Amino acid sequence: MSSRPRPCALLRRLLPLLALLLATPAWALDGNALLKQLDRNLEPESYEMYRKLINIEPDGKKKEYVLYTVKKGRDKMVALFLDPPSDKGRATLRLGDNMWLYIPNVGKPLRITSLQSVVGGVFNNADILALDYSVEYNVDKAEEAGNSYVLALKARTAAVAYDRLKMWVDKASVLPVTIEAYAASGLLIKTLHFRDIKDFGGGIKRPAVMETDSPLYKGYKSVMLYSSLRARRFPDEVFTLNYLPRAGELR
Amino acid sequence: MRRLFCACLSLWLPAAAAQESYSFDVSQFEKKPFELNGYAELKAEQFTFDRHAALYQLGFFDQPQRDGFDRGTGSLQLEGTYRQGLATAHVIAYGSYAHDDTGNDRDTRLYEASVSVQPSSHATYDLGKKTLSWGKGYAWNPVGFVQRAKDPNDPELAREGFVIAGGDFVRSFDGTLKTVALTPLLVPTTAGLNADFGTSEHLNPAAKIYFFYANTDIDLMMLGAGAKSARYGVDFSRNLGTNLEVHGEWARAASVTRPVVDAAGNVVPIEASATSYLLGLRYLSESQLTTLFEYYYNDAGYSEDEMRSFAAVVHGAYDQYQASGNAAPLTKLRTALQPAMARPNPGQRYLYLRLSQQEPFDILYLTPALTIIANVDDRSYSVAPELLYTGITNLELRFRVFWLRGTPLSDFGEKQNDRRLDLRARYYF
Repeated sequence: MSSRPRPCALLRRLLPLLALLLATPAWALDGNALLKQLDRNLEPESYEMYRKLINIEPDGKKKEYVLYTVKKGRDKMVALFLDPPSDKGRATLRLGDNMWLYIPNVGKPLRITSLQSVVGGVFNNADILALDYSVEYNVDKAEEAGNSYVLALKARTAAVAYDRLKMWVDKASVLPVTIEAYAASGLLIKTLHFRDIKDFGGGIKRPAVMETDSPLYKGYKSVMLYSSLRARRFPDEVFTLNYLPRAGELR
Repeated sequence: MRRLFCACLSLWLPAAAAQESYSFDVSQFEKKPFELNGYAELKAEQFTFDRHAALYQLGFFDQPQRDGFDRGTGSLQLEGTYRQGLATAHVIAYGSYAHDDTGNDRDTRLYEASVSVQPSSHATYDLGKKTLSWGKGYAWNPVGFVQRAKDPNDPELAREGFVIAGGDFVRSFDGTLKTVALTPLLVPTTAGLNADFGTSEHLNPAAKIYFFYANTDIDLMMLGAGAKSARYGVDFSRNLGTNLEVHGEWARAASVTRPVVDAAGNVVPIEASATSYLLGLRYLSESQLTTLFEYYYNDAGYSEDEMRSFAAVVHGAYDQYQASGNAAPLTKLRTALQPAMARPNPGQRYLYLRLSQQEPFDILYLTPALTIIANVDDRSYSVAPELLYTGITNLELRFRVFWLRGTPLSDFGEKQNDRRLDLRARYYF
């Protein structure tokens, strides 16, 4: 006689376990999985896109920059300035925690740091060359608050520009709504507001506008507009110092 | 009534902000086969001369004596790019017209005129006049074997290139070594080609190999013997944190000749090998103050004694000229030594310190800076405060003052100017 349980009996024994597993997300939110999902909802892992950066001064005066950006994998990124003419041809490269700026007149890439700003205003280099949140941050705490998830993020390494982020995520779309960026000292450096959800095609539906303000720049505001975002693969050699002067040929 | 107005305003403002909309028409920025850019610049300079300085006496002994000099310069730089298939043609042309107390001066130069062919992302081939920029140093580049020397007072100024034939081959990898790139090239010299690179009728092979290894940029470079003696070198650059970068260069030249004046006033060439190096760092503070510091040892430069001898001999020759009217010694010194000694930094050991504060007091686009260049051997120096404003789109305004200080017979103490004012307006299009 076999002592093996019959399929029905096995199912009866496994059902409580299955129910427990299904119930798990209700009481233990997996913040890191949520952050990864948010990253993929914002952008494909490898893509090209155009962005306009607008620095707005308290008197309403604006200065605009247009960038063409390409990214590959977790940590490779190039941003090329297309406008205004005073900045045209400048290109920034990010490889992990390393960043370089190529200025055509200088003729060679110079190392820059994430907290510097090549455009001035509220945006710094880390904002312009931002990688996936899940690459740079670990979720310390995740909780639900009405229609949002609230995530407390801690930088994975000291090389990340902001030590901590507090992120409000829309439950329905799993897209960021507001992000507060803090220094290691606890000082609020800036707040990012995401709005205007737009369908970019290819399954990408995300905010097309990101507004940034900072208590360090009272009255000033910086805005980032996203356009023509689409998945695209690039050879690794595109993300090298030698290729940086020719980044414009990618378009 | 006032409270009511404020309440209404506070209700209206967020609504107005929420409705703020922005436009972004990407089609305006589509890639075009032909692109033309450039800038127009107006520059006003005022020089205050040091009439007791050796370089003033050498440069102006046969001209009307003056305490200062005003110069206005208008210049235009045009940059054109034309793309056809895998090929890209690139031209940078520069022209200037200067008016000063001695007359007018025109200058036109072709900085670059080259064709690049890029059959793949791994390889690029270049032919034509091209400006190369080897080395990691900001103010100086001892490993800059195939480029014209920088002006440390304006290191980001565009420079004229040399005619080259070369390639650029890149491979990327996963792991600690992420990139290897090889840049071989020829810098041929003939009577009419690259005449200022060195002696003619040489091919002058050169190469640079780049590694991005363990988050560090490393370059090895060489220039074969030909128009210049053989030389080789290495440079590196690395971030030590989010706000600190270190870099360095080391170069060895098999043989370098420099004219030196002896106590009797004779100019003799001295030939020797030279080992030069540079160490530098860039630090960004929490308050957005960038500190750039470099130490440069130029083995091919003039020692303190050689510079003192030069200045003393010029003073002696000048006194003789004033007493007797005999210009021969000064003319000989001018021909033999002025090109070498009138360079911005002809000495051996220098420090460069630049402090620049980005947007102080929340004033966007304003960058005040202070640059100090010091000769370590004789402790003479130049100090240059600067204001840069870029708040008006495409317009860059810069104002600088240079003060040069040093004891008699020292490097900066014997330069032509005691002070220089420099106001520049540059409009990009």
